[in-house]
Amino acid sequence: MTCHARLAPASANRQFPGRMLSLALRGAIRFYQLTLAYFFVGACRYEPSCSAYAAEAVARHGALRGSWLAAHRLCRCGTRRGRGYAPVTSSLSCSPVKVR
Amino acid sequence: MDQKNFIVAIVLSVVIIMGWQTLFPAKTPPPQQQTTQATSPNGTPSAPASAPGAPAATPAAAPQKVMTLDEALAAQGPRVTFNTDQLLGSIALKGARIDDVRLAKQRETIDPNSPPVPVLSPVGTEHPYYAEFGWSASDPNVKLPGPDTLWTAGNPSVVPGKPVRLTWDNGQGLIFALDVALDEFFMFDVRQSVENKSDKPVTVFPWSLIVRYGEPKAEGIYILHEGPYGVFNGSLKEFSYSDFKDNKQQKISTTGGWVGITDKYWMATLVPDQQSKVDVSIKSTGSGADLKYQIDYVAPGKEIAPGATAATDARLFAGAKIVKLIDAYEKKYGIEKFDLTIDWGWFWFFTKPLFWLLEWLYGQLGNFGVAILVLTVLVKAVFFPLANKSYAAMSKMKALQPEMEKLKERYGEDRQRMNQELMQLYRREKVNPAAGCLPIVVQIPVFFALYKVLYTTIEMRHQPFFGWIKDLSAPDPATILTGFGFIHWQVPEILHFFNIGVWPLIMGVTMYLQQKLNPAPADPVQARVFQFLPILFTFMMAPFSAGLVIYWAWSNTLSIAQQYSIMRRHGTPIGSKAATKAKPVAAVPAPANGGSTSKKGGKAKKG
Repeated sequence: MTCHARLAPASANRQFPGRMLSLALRGAIRFYQLTLAYFFVGACRYEPSCSAYAAEAVARHGALRGSWLAAHRLCRCGTRRGRGYAPVTSSLSCSPVKVR
Repeated sequence: MDQKNFIVAIVLSVVIIMGWQTLFPAKTPPPQQQTTQATSPNGTPSAPASAPGAPAATPAAAPQKVMTLDEALAAQGPRVTFNTDQLLGSIALKGARIDDVRLAKQRETIDPNSPPVPVLSPVGTEHPYYAEFGWSASDPNVKLPGPDTLWTAGNPSVVPGKPVRLTWDNGQGLIFALDVALDEFFMFDVRQSVENKSDKPVTVFPWSLIVRYGEPKAEGIYILHEGPYGVFNGSLKEFSYSDFKDNKQQKISTTGGWVGITDKYWMATLVPDQQSKVDVSIKSTGSGADLKYQIDYVAPGKEIAPGATAATDARLFAGAKIVKLIDAYEKKYGIEKFDLTIDWGWFWFFTKPLFWLLEWLYGQLGNFGVAILVLTVLVKAVFFPLANKSYAAMSKMKALQPEMEKLKERYGEDRQRMNQELMQLYRREKVNPAAGCLPIVVQIPVFFALYKVLYTTIEMRHQPFFGWIKDLSAPDPATILTGFGFIHWQVPEILHFFNIGVWPLIMGVTMYLQQKLNPAPADPVQARVFQFLPILFTFMMAPFSAGLVIYWAWSNTLSIAQQYSIMRRHGTPIGSKAATKAKPVAAVPAPANGGSTSKKGGKAKKG
């Protein structure tokens, strides 16, 4: 939970255009979740699903860094080793979260 | 592994973005190709700029009576006729104009007795559309054949293998001749020659043109290009009619290629000699009722010495864009990128092979609908093992749903902890990871390509399936508001949305059934919205071609069968009531291991 606390001020300070962009992205993700995600029911290897991960990543790390994280998450889907619980982390490392 | 996937993702994104742009192109005007126009070769003085325009706008645009085809044909005097297996029509001797070309094998409606589809039509009919071949000269004193010139025909008709020669003597010692040949299909071969019997040399510039009156009613859908287009210096350029609004024009010099005007299934296209550099122009003239579109090209000038004859070859394709035929012409005449006359889209590398496969299956099975069904089975077979894995995972997940609910109740506040417990549960119950989204993603191109093929290719036009489906490329006609085809009335435009055919309804039912087999999504809003999606998709798919809807319904049915059998094998209860039945399994969620897992969770945060 310390993680959340540390990040909170950063998101509050975010500049206006960045906030708009992040909001727009999250809107788009939600739209996807309520429509096209229909065809991907049951396909996810990860928890949270990539779209939920992306939404959280954008909310916590901003539009740019969040998108970057989400892109990496998408790429991990389908690799043999990746699966399971892989939440958004505070760092921007691209290596997959290790969960046995 | 990550890197590789990342590259794949980038490539996929680019493909998707490009696909998007094809589907919904930005409405920017194409760059003006104002290349130098007809700079006279060999320093010939003042070469004519281009082919003459379409006949001048009729003054005051008096409301003209639209004539029937027969009236219009009779009004223009003598004609040379042709009547092959594929084409019927005639060439007007006045102006040597190819203005009557109809497709014997293609009818206006699915009724085989309906009139043949016209590709070119004479002036006087509702939509005049014709091709002409002529000459310009640098010397204004040279008398040239014009739109009112009455040519003399060698024979009264053209048959494949027996061309007709049209001649005209200009009275100044120049004999103009057009040798028009027609093959078994849609290609007119036109040899434009001039014999100089005078005592001084003369320079002429042979041209070819196509004129189309008014803006045709296009499908108006971004998925398919209709309008003027061509291959210039090796690259395809597609224009929309609106690019030539307010009499704008395009001038392009090219060596090789072709230029034409296309509709969805037919086109009139000029093919210049592939070795010489020609000056193409595309423009519109007039406005309102007098609006005309013209494409033309001027071939290099020919200086003809006294006593000599000079000839230039031109070709006109006026007919249906049959894939095999287009490819055969490309090979036979060496026409650069003639295959691009058919709009395969950005995904041509996928759309075209899919078409070949479908056509081959059609050849084996004799019905395009059955070919689509078999194609679906083939696609499913390729992804069978992957899908099996996915369904197995889903089946287990569905069985575990009550346990997950319990976990949620217990650890709902602490997401971290809940997820740890969830992973424990997966491990204990040996839930293999799902195959991921790849098996689903790969089916998207198949769906899209099939849509494109059904929509674009003439081979699908008027192709029947079983029962009431007489045209796979059109929406299912047995719709609700027509009493499933038993009541014949014109359904008003505003009700079209509700006018759903039988096949879209079947598709909706298959979607609903499939949803019943899937585990409900964890997000309650998502779960509720998804319940309505089969209904929404039924409405959305209703206006699509029946072939595509049948494909989707059949694909769903196969998936359901596969999924159902796997669930039966796993003993997973089917249907929503199953949740209560499965309860006893959800005995101990084993919170004892909680400590060790949350430690791992902490590590995960840093990683």
